[in-house]
Amino acid sequence: MTTQTLKRPKASRTGTSPRSQGNRKQARRTTLIGWTFILPNFLGFLAFTLIPVFAAFALAFMEWNSFSTPEWIGLRNFQEMFGSETFWIALMNTVGYTIGHVPLTLGLALLLAMLLNRKLKGIGFFRVAIFFPYITSLVAVAVVWNMLFNPTTGPINQLLEAIGIANPPGWTSSSDWAMPAVIITSVWRDMGYYMILFLAGLQAIPNELYEAAEVDGANAWQRFWNVTVPGLRPTTFFVLVMLTVSSFKVFDLIVVMTDGGPGRSTTVLSQLIYQEGITEGNFGYSSAISLVLFLIVLTVTVVQFKLQQRKER
Amino acid sequence: MKRNVLAAAAVAATAVLALTGCGGAAGPAEGGGGEDGKTPLTVSVWNYEGTPEFKALFDAYEEENPDIDIQHIDILADDYAEKVTTMLAGGDTTDVLTMKSPMEYARYASRGQLQDVSDVVGQLDTENTANLDAYEVDGKYFAAPYRQDFWLLYYNKDLFDAAGVEYPENLTWDEYAEAAKSLASGEGGNKVYGAYHHYWRSVVQAIASAQTGGDLIGGEYDFLADQYQTVVDLQKEGAALDWATAMSQQTGYRTMFETQQAAMVPMGTWYIAPLVAAQEAGEVDFNWGLAPMPQISDGEDITTFGSPTGFAVNKNAEHSEEAKAFLAWAAGDGGAAAIAEIGVVPALQTDTVTEAYFQLEGLPADDLSKEAFTPEETKLEMPISDVTSDIDAILAEEHELIMVGEKTIEQGIADMTKRVQGEVLN
Repeated sequence: MTTQTLKRPKASRTGTSPRSQGNRKQARRTTLIGWTFILPNFLGFLAFTLIPVFAAFALAFMEWNSFSTPEWIGLRNFQEMFGSETFWIALMNTVGYTIGHVPLTLGLALLLAMLLNRKLKGIGFFRVAIFFPYITSLVAVAVVWNMLFNPTTGPINQLLEAIGIANPPGWTSSSDWAMPAVIITSVWRDMGYYMILFLAGLQAIPNELYEAAEVDGANAWQRFWNVTVPGLRPTTFFVLVMLTVSSFKVFDLIVVMTDGGPGRSTTVLSQLIYQEGITEGNFGYSSAISLVLFLIVLTVTVVQFKLQQRKER
Repeated sequence: MKRNVLAAAAVAATAVLALTGCGGAAGPAEGGGGEDGKTPLTVSVWNYEGTPEFKALFDAYEEENPDIDIQHIDILADDYAEKVTTMLAGGDTTDVLTMKSPMEYARYASRGQLQDVSDVVGQLDTENTANLDAYEVDGKYFAAPYRQDFWLLYYNKDLFDAAGVEYPENLTWDEYAEAAKSLASGEGGNKVYGAYHHYWRSVVQAIASAQTGGDLIGGEYDFLADQYQTVVDLQKEGAALDWATAMSQQTGYRTMFETQQAAMVPMGTWYIAPLVAAQEAGEVDFNWGLAPMPQISDGEDITTFGSPTGFAVNKNAEHSEEAKAFLAWAAGDGGAAAIAEIGVVPALQTDTVTEAYFQLEGLPADDLSKEAFTPEETKLEMPISDVTSDIDAILAEEHELIMVGEKTIEQGIADMTKRVQGEVLN
């Protein structure tokens, strides 16, 4: 994650002998072949991602319902957005989801990875079992969890009642508990994927380090804190960034599980963007919201990179 | 060399897959171009397999007009509005657009996306065409209704007989609540509810609006209080499935009625055709009937609510003239006969049409069912204006909070009033 690897040795830039000219020709050829390989993908990226992204930035300052000619209205979309109660509710909900989802998924994925990082008979089964939710259709996941969360007949509340909790939460039918319900579901779904990443990271830590630590008299906790955690730092950082970005962009699970309800208690920014744009046809306003979301994600990611760089120094 | 060929083939295959993948999703179902020199007429529809009226209409029209080849563009029902909006934004040239709800119609019409078809509507039997005013925009029409749906009460005669409750003839809402309580029985898996109220807000709000005369886009919502009281009380007493369960499990009204878990279900007339079909397939083996919507007090005219479904002509249509001819036919006698035959209620309401309708095998033929079929007044579900969809979103959000019991009825109504006035009507 540092820039070190990008710096080329100076030597390759010097020298004009015929031999190195031949090398250069060869290098250019290799580069061209490389480009040809990424070209089809890049063209798609350009046409369907990059250009629309820049178009969306411009649209944020316009009023456009997709049929009329876009009209430049300056900052009016942003004025309307910052004055809208729904926007602030959606922003707070998105932040709330991220604050709940990121540490829980990170912690549980790490814990699972450590549990499953040993040579045991049938360990493959458990790894697959944990990973399974990630490759399951999200709609099916949401429907099943909605049944589990059913306030009266759902198994979760029946279990809670059985262990003596008189007033179990209303989960998706309660404004206070709908977001925790969504977070629980998403943690369950995502932790398998990040567990795999952590497993890969764990297996890259040389065993000698643990042996050396043990010889030095380090207990399990000290080995975890002084060997595992530093060894996993690049993985943890990658997981953290990916998780944060995906949390801010959460959309599908919320739409299927609660559709933003009850009331507006689980409405998130991506959903608001969809509603305003595709449903209501206010593409300018919806682009303005997406610009704000983009800036938030960008800022958070940049801050994470800065913190990481400081740690590595 | 060999490797190059392989690579080229792979690239070509990918490109072909990508292109056909995109084209296939939205393209006409029967391939491009007219068959045997016929003029192709493209029509956007939802859930073609599960909505038999489309096939009935298209087959009948093609038979009468052998030079036309109707090609349907099938769209997932839940995504219909968004998908059509996206298609139109991309300059799509589909000829005829089916207007699933008046709210979407208003949006397309106000954006100038539809052709003015006032001349077609002018030739219709406007006297007997229901809900035509829903399509009037500044004295012009941009769609012609072929079908109308209004709400009535479906009831399970067997459950009524078993509980010894009289059939729901001209009920008031108080009598309806009493009947629901007497009909409720059982526990756990055998629970039978007296009534099932689907989770849509219209089940409460549109009924109240139609019967009290309250304006859903007016910004004052006190007229909803009594109807909410009835519905909330019923679910509190366990006589109706509670809203939270219905919503979190996406319980279908069909499941509730067809598995005999609910004795009464207020629902739109669109449910008649599938119910008859389920009965024919042997999935429904109990006696059922139709009754008029309960009213606020005794002896009133039967007032209910509903909305039209219509066809419109795309501004970018490739075959405008043919499309208009199809609209005129579908909204007239021809279309009405074609869909009445399969149990769908045509917008055109003449005695001949009603008679044809009750010829349908499997339809309950008792007098109460026939009476239910001719309400004195059918109000539009929600007035159409440029603020309708914004208000719709607010009313739906507050409806949820009242139904899950997080807000009292008074609080919910106060918040509807405050938010609609503050966020939309200001």
